Amino acid sequence: MTSPELMHRSEVAVSVELQTPDMTLNIGPQHPSTHGVLRLVARVDGERIRDVEPVIGYMHRGYEKLAEVRTYAQITALVNRIDWVAGFANEIAFIRAVETLAGIEPTERAQWIRLILSELARISSHLVFMSSYPLELGATTPLFHALRERERVLDLIEGATGGRFHPNFNRVGGVKPAAGGGSTQKKVSSDLPAGFFAGTKLAMDNVLAVCDDIDNLVTGNELIKARTVGVGVIPGDKAIEYGLSGPNLRASGVGFDLRKHEFILPYDEVEFDVAVAEGGDCYDRYVVRLDEIRQSVRIVLQAIDKVPSGPLQAKVPRILKVPQGQAYVRNENPKGEFGYYVISEGGRMPYRLKIRSTSFSNLSILPWILKDQLVPDLVAIMGSLDFVLGDVDR
Amino acid sequence: MPDSPPERATTADDLAEWADGLAERLGASVISTEFATVRIAVARDRWVDTLRAARDDEGLPFFSWLSAIDWAKETAVGEGPAEPEDLVERYEVLCRLSSVRDASGAHFVAEIPKDDAWIDSIVPVWGGAEWHEREAHEMFGIDFRGNPNLTHLYLPDAFEGHPLRKSYPLLSREVKPWPGTVDVEDMPAVEGPSTENPEA
Repeated sequence: MTSPELMHRSEVAVSVELQTPDMTLNIGPQHPSTHGVLRLVARVDGERIRDVEPVIGYMHRGYEKLAEVRTYAQITALVNRIDWVAGFANEIAFIRAVETLAGIEPTERAQWIRLILSELARISSHLVFMSSYPLELGATTPLFHALRERERVLDLIEGATGGRFHPNFNRVGGVKPAAGGGSTQKKVSSDLPAGFFAGTKLAMDNVLAVCDDIDNLVTGNELIKARTVGVGVIPGDKAIEYGLSGPNLRASGVGFDLRKHEFILPYDEVEFDVAVAEGGDCYDRYVVRLDEIRQSVRIVLQAIDKVPSGPLQAKVPRILKVPQGQAYVRNENPKGEFGYYVISEGGRMPYRLKIRSTSFSNLSILPWILKDQLVPDLVAIMGSLDFVLGDVDR
Repeated sequence: MPDSPPERATTADDLAEWADGLAERLGASVISTEFATVRIAVARDRWVDTLRAARDDEGLPFFSWLSAIDWAKETAVGEGPAEPEDLVERYEVLCRLSSVRDASGAHFVAEIPKDDAWIDSIVPVWGGAEWHEREAHEMFGIDFRGNPNLTHLYLPDAFEGHPLRKSYPLLSREVKPWPGTVDVEDMPAVEGPSTENPEA
């Protein structure tokens, strides 16, 4: 029994694994969990993903080229279509970049209205996540709760701006006089519709209530935890290497929130906490977003009391020519750092507009994070990154 | 708000001083710190080393984005450069790195000639740069040497041309010319009674 030959044979018997040929699994471009049109080509070995190649570009609209043939005022109508789940927030960094280059200071009232609507956009974006993510994990109920309140928040945005998804509300130097507010007579227009602040306060109460509902339904749910805790862990240094930002970065223990550092809107005058989690797994990304909704409610309620009186619009030339220069301005969008690098050569249109869209970087970690994961975890990991394909493809 | 600089907590002078020190330590030079946007010129052959040093020694680990600019005297669509006579035709590759502790960040700029458009890939330093380099590659025709997967990202495989080059026409504009100034909307009046809604 101790002969070398036998030893050898028994070792072979133990170390041989069942060899299964790799199979290529195609997911998308049409798939409910891809939030748009994303295709994944995965090489799987049994239930194990060996590597995955995301194929993007199905929604590429070429905004960077289109911006080169449009005036600055026209570009705001384009940019709110990038991440359509939070259309209002996309306009902020762009309009602040143009204002920076043109040396135009927006009015204080406009800045506060921008801040309130940005936070409403954040709440509505995160509520979409609160509805879609449990749904992808198999829980249908949270969707009805979250989308009901999200619709009320969208009603507020629509009431003030006239647009439910695509507000196109920001103007260089301020915001547009609102739709549906006050008299319809020419030259007399009101900024916010009657009862906007009272309606917002009521909606915020409802949003907090739905956060508690979601807490009850999802946060402690054993099935959700089994699917998400410890799944898809992104360490902080990997998140930084791939340019992950927003809740995805903060769930990995990096408590960086642009609202605490760059005050392109008066965030320095409101109190709120930055939601951070340490684990970096799918569950933490969910927890951070739920916490951020509550923080946004805090911000909105404070901001309502701080909105000053005054004009909506600073004095701006009729035909805006922006002086030569290059500026990068970024904003903490619901999904993370969203920035515009604007190059003006002194004309009515930018010479080049580079759009730093959040989901593009957030999704670029997919090949790394999905490597050697289980196929059933694929949707759980992908959904937890909260991307929108319009924001990936631009 | 109007009393303090809205873009950054630091003043413009502080920012310029920080950028000067950063550029000196990295062996590069500051192009501009105007509009709170720090731009630092890097030689093409020191591209990867400089960016790695910025990450390791200067507290700028966050890879924000990478892209390029086509500086051309003539453009197929849109408005051209301000002074086309003096312009040196070239590509600029831009990479933004920033901090995850404070607001500091810088744009590193490498100039590359149009007839020899290549630069070393930074994918070995930041894995996240792969998609950004692929985008710049297909949009501008710049070769990123060392990128493991330099294929089309957005564009179909058979697509020819580099759409973000200034020489590339925009088909929709060829079919229907832009109407021009009639499209510029009026800005709302500032003078007159307050537009505020007391009932809001």
